[in-house]
Amino acid sequence: MQRFISNSLIGFTLLCVTGELTAQESKEPRFRLSGFGTLDVTAAGTKQIGYHNEFSHAPQYGGVSIFSGSVGGLQLDADLLPKLSATIQGVAKERTKHDMFNFLDWAFLRYQVTPNTTIRAGRMGIDLFMLSEYRNVGFAYLWARPVVEFYMPISLSHFDGFDIKYSRRIAPGFFEFKAYGGQTGSDITVSRGDLSLRERPFFGANASLETDHWKFRLTFASAEVHAIRNQPYHQLFNALNNIPAALWPQAAEVAGHISAEGKQSSYYSAGIAYDKNAWVMQSEFAWFDSKWPSVNLTNGYLSIGRRFGPVTWYSIGSYAKSLNSPLNILTDPAAPANIARLQDITETAFNRTLIDQNTFSLGARWDLNHQTALKAQWDHTWIRKNGGGFLITQEPLTQDTSLDTFSVNLNFIFK
Amino acid sequence: MMKYWIAIFVLLLLISTQAQADIVVVVHPSSRLKHLTQQQVIDIYMGRIHSVGDIDPVIPYDQPQDSEIRENFYQFLMGRPIAFINAYWARLLFTGRASPPRQVTDNMSIIDIVEKNPNIIGYIDERNLNDRVSVVFRVVTRAQ
Repeated sequence: MQRFISNSLIGFTLLCVTGELTAQESKEPRFRLSGFGTLDVTAAGTKQIGYHNEFSHAPQYGGVSIFSGSVGGLQLDADLLPKLSATIQGVAKERTKHDMFNFLDWAFLRYQVTPNTTIRAGRMGIDLFMLSEYRNVGFAYLWARPVVEFYMPISLSHFDGFDIKYSRRIAPGFFEFKAYGGQTGSDITVSRGDLSLRERPFFGANASLETDHWKFRLTFASAEVHAIRNQPYHQLFNALNNIPAALWPQAAEVAGHISAEGKQSSYYSAGIAYDKNAWVMQSEFAWFDSKWPSVNLTNGYLSIGRRFGPVTWYSIGSYAKSLNSPLNILTDPAAPANIARLQDITETAFNRTLIDQNTFSLGARWDLNHQTALKAQWDHTWIRKNGGGFLITQEPLTQDTSLDTFSVNLNFIFK
Repeated sequence: MMKYWIAIFVLLLLISTQAQADIVVVVHPSSRLKHLTQQQVIDIYMGRIHSVGDIDPVIPYDQPQDSEIRENFYQFLMGRPIAFINAYWARLLFTGRASPPRQVTDNMSIIDIVEKNPNIIGYIDERNLNDRVSVVFRVVTRAQ
């Protein structure tokens, strides 16, 4: 992976040099530097419950933080040839792991094959849902942050590979189809510590139709867990796989059930958006179907907003719910204490990955000028027992609870 | 006294009419582009298409970011507020899909740049129209 990034950077530099030479023959600017940022203040979490709105963020245990939603990004676009361009984007924000793999969000070449067809290769944003590709660019969307229930399960922000996009105007509107493939990964924080995930092959497709005021979108993607690095995870699996069958006959079966490696996940989603005069509406629903039971879930949201001059008021209702039931291992009263303890740890480790929560949000976006927007949002979240998989807790939630989150942020772009 | 008020009323009416002049989409007089539909203008200015027929590329130019004509152009062309357009282009720019149309300083700058390149299209206040450019579409800004 590191070699891929290095090669991409070297390739991009060479292409920029080529572009510089070409640029001398033309008065049109060949390079464009642009950027975006969000200065955020969020009050969230409690002393017992750590809140984060992305798995790649460190948790917030109450109080006020400027790191929860603050982001800074720079993008360089280069027109290398009439049909060939290059883009590189770096994003700085709160992360579990700070390294080049995470900082470099994009580095790709784009070639326009025909007026309707474009191919890209390199590192690109994952285009799973409506906001997936620009979730870091607060100015580009209505809310103070992407809907946690819907966007948090997708901790992946980019993939290394290729995509091909076909678009054309058809009778009802503007149609777009995109297919992609490659490999991806993410470094995230879960209740059992930092976790690195690498997935390959990763592939998918989406189709959208945009009319004057409506947008419809369907998505499919699939990924296979190639490698997972998390110390408690490996310790647990080593223990389960080394237990003599006489002491716990189902141990290996349980390990196989909750393990991640080699398991495939498929994502399906449908989205709809409406925007006409004063009213804006957006809704998406998704289904995660995986042989890795921790990932099986369904989620969705409905957002409705109304513009009053430069200010748009909005409300959102959202949910996320794991499709698997809590693990309930039948313990043998005669089992040795250490086996009973391991069964308890296994049960806890699995059950704390389950998700069952709803959020109602109210917020406002105020477009201060053409490149700056101020946003504020309040979320009230209900989390059910054994449904706190989005949170960081010392112990699994043994009863229903609720959380309030309040954010104010200033979003800007420059180009 | 009555004549005085009528004169003011007529004057205000004239000023009002002048302030609501149409916006015209213009190209180089030698361009093979003779007419654009409303949908084509929308698609070009929303970065969806980059060619029309055998004219490739078609390069759109925009008026200044905070100008009234830009706000009116998008509002009357496609019924979208300028805040939507700004956020829309942020999405396209920062997903690497397309760059927003380049912006110039005023109507005369649009005419100057269109005159130099038959692939460029721009839009201007129709009161600035002259024979250095040809009209391919008209955005009616008066109430129907």
